[in-house]
Amino acid sequence: MGTVQAKEAPRNPIDISGLNNRRSENSPKADSKKNAPSNKQAQPTYPAAKFKTVRARVDKVNIEGLSRTKDDIIIESIQPLFSAGDFVEVLKQAHEIRERLVGLGCFNNVRIYIDTSSGKAATPDGLEVTFHVSEMRRLTGAINTLFGSNNEGSVALSMRLPNLMGRGERIQAECSYGNRRTSNYNFGFVKPLRGRSNAFFTTSVFQHFTEQPASGYKEIDRGLLFDLAFTSAPLVRHNLQWETTWRDLSVLNRTTAFEIREMSGPSLKGSLRHILSVDRRDQAIFPRSGTLWRITTEYAGIGGNVNFLKNEAQFQANIPLSNDVVFQATLHGGMLKSIGNTKPPSLCDHFFLGGPLSLRGFESRGVGPQAGRNALGASTYWAGGLHLYSPLPFIKPGGFADLFRAHLFLNAGNIGNFEFTDDYNHNLEVLGQNMRLAYGLGIAMKLGDIARVELNYCLPHMYQRTDAINKGLQFGIGFDFL
Amino acid sequence: MPTPRVILSEAMALEVGGKEPWPSDVKLYQPYEVEQILLPDNANCLATQAFLKMSKLQYTVEPRSNAEFMSPSGKVPFIQCGAFVVSELEPIVSFVASKGVSLTNDLDNGEKADMRAYMSLISNVLATAELFITWCDAQTYKQVTKPRYGSVFPWPLNHLLCWQKRSSVTKRLHVLGWANKTLDDVFHEVDQCCQALSERLGPKNYFFGDKPTELDALVFGHLFTVLTTPLPNNKLAATIRGYRTLVDLCKRIEHEYFELPTST
Repeated sequence: MGTVQAKEAPRNPIDISGLNNRRSENSPKADSKKNAPSNKQAQPTYPAAKFKTVRARVDKVNIEGLSRTKDDIIIESIQPLFSAGDFVEVLKQAHEIRERLVGLGCFNNVRIYIDTSSGKAATPDGLEVTFHVSEMRRLTGAINTLFGSNNEGSVALSMRLPNLMGRGERIQAECSYGNRRTSNYNFGFVKPLRGRSNAFFTTSVFQHFTEQPASGYKEIDRGLLFDLAFTSAPLVRHNLQWETTWRDLSVLNRTTAFEIREMSGPSLKGSLRHILSVDRRDQAIFPRSGTLWRITTEYAGIGGNVNFLKNEAQFQANIPLSNDVVFQATLHGGMLKSIGNTKPPSLCDHFFLGGPLSLRGFESRGVGPQAGRNALGASTYWAGGLHLYSPLPFIKPGGFADLFRAHLFLNAGNIGNFEFTDDYNHNLEVLGQNMRLAYGLGIAMKLGDIARVELNYCLPHMYQRTDAINKGLQFGIGFDFL
Repeated sequence: MPTPRVILSEAMALEVGGKEPWPSDVKLYQPYEVEQILLPDNANCLATQAFLKMSKLQYTVEPRSNAEFMSPSGKVPFIQCGAFVVSELEPIVSFVASKGVSLTNDLDNGEKADMRAYMSLISNVLATAELFITWCDAQTYKQVTKPRYGSVFPWPLNHLLCWQKRSSVTKRLHVLGWANKTLDDVFHEVDQCCQALSERLGPKNYFFGDKPTELDALVFGHLFTVLTTPLPNNKLAATIRGYRTLVDLCKRIEHEYFELPTST
């Protein structure tokens, strides 16, 4: 599964593809007793000095609006509230519980009311917390817009049976069609697991169809995915996946190179994958500060006839230079190794480089080994970028203008079937040989909280003769940019 | 999406490329003969090889487990000649003709039409009968087709792809009106076809005199494969053996063009 997709579904913390976990960044809005959080930051801030000294104890928690949902998961979720000792802690815990309840995917809306407790059993510092929840209907449906990693937009129809057995289980079915003839069908079952690790178990059956004109092939993937997502420390998210996919590669048209033709045909991949993501950024699109790590390790060779070990890492750091200007550094890298003396990994397992979401200034998959005019991909790549984001000059900030950023970038990368040795310096030299570099400037726009649109003027500076360069304007839409 | 300009340039490339002489590095792709190939595919591969040998064109056989999926038409065999990929006998014959090599130069128009008629008789009857026996006869399917076709795929793809292929073949047989035939009907059809062929052959060495044509190659490919392939139900081979002259033709071509020890 190559596509990482983001979509507008803030109440859905688990994307069924399992590759993309966005924390719901919405701060609570309907909380009457809380000081309104400053809208520049996602985490609510409290006038701590004032409240920290206020001792508090939660006497009673009411949940209103429950009908289908079973009590046990709710009781478990709200337990931490009773251990709070002061008012700030009560607020924090209440907020976290709200996030958890929303994350279960059972409720349309969760509101919190905090009042002093009354009645016979009331203690002097006692508080009474009330959660007003409204449960989702038994069947929901939606039409969404998706943005894939392929600079492609698509429309998705989805249907969901939320809270099936009262403990947050849901069945979901989704199909999507892209403007580049990509299509996806997905049918899955999701179950939140108990415990503090915010774990979800997902099973899904899927079919993806993609066309890769730059490589001259099309691919149908049909498979089965089991995914266990959990949090091991705050903001440290893990996905453990077991995937079995039947991939069918076929030639796109008559101009496809024979090297691609040779790799067509069906193959079966059985793999275990671990995705570790640590997202300490303040927001996903146009972050101002914080870092993002994502490390993916995949071992293929559990059944099937595809054997490889694939490692990929992404790093992003954001440093605010002044109030509005943000400096961003990114580094991506990946390595693919075949295991044993089995046949080498297939075309669709390779890494590719180039394109508006990857190495800007080059055509999509325009960098690296080629056959004819088709990109073959390679086993190793790295790409890094330095960015400078600032608000649009000469325009008053606020409102509509906040959706835009001026963007100055320099990115570089390399891809190839490199031979590594034990000599560290030699390896670095190999990685740096024939490095590609491009720079430019442009405008980036935020599209909801789900995607980013970029229009850049690119100047490729270092490139190889065979590379497909994109000098001049380049348009990109997507979620994960280099 | 190829733009019209691309299609035009492709056509021009075909035209220009066609004029070049036969290169020495032509490769013929087919499935693995020992463990994978099935009766109908083997017949087509052998026919194409016989044709190339009769035309005295150099080629090397490249066995590939995914040959069927590599082929532009989804059928084996196919040849790679420079930048061109051409699959199945008849397109290969016309491709070779574009290089100025033909086995039918001495034939008049009537004979050429005759030859085409007999070739389509073979593809309509013999090839269909082979497909029927391979995919629709339960015993053959279970004992031969399924293990061989699935041999190159891991579990559970071997079952899945075999089933997929079977349903596509069955669909095709439905269109041709063969799906509801019994084995005896099929043998009867084959018998009639052989009858027609042996009448046309008569006492001659080849169908059109002393020189072989693509019809001889096609007949050889199919009959020789049927005769030499062991199947649970060997009545098909027995039907063909009833026609001495056809069997002799096969032996003659084999002796002339394939210097392999015969097993018949």
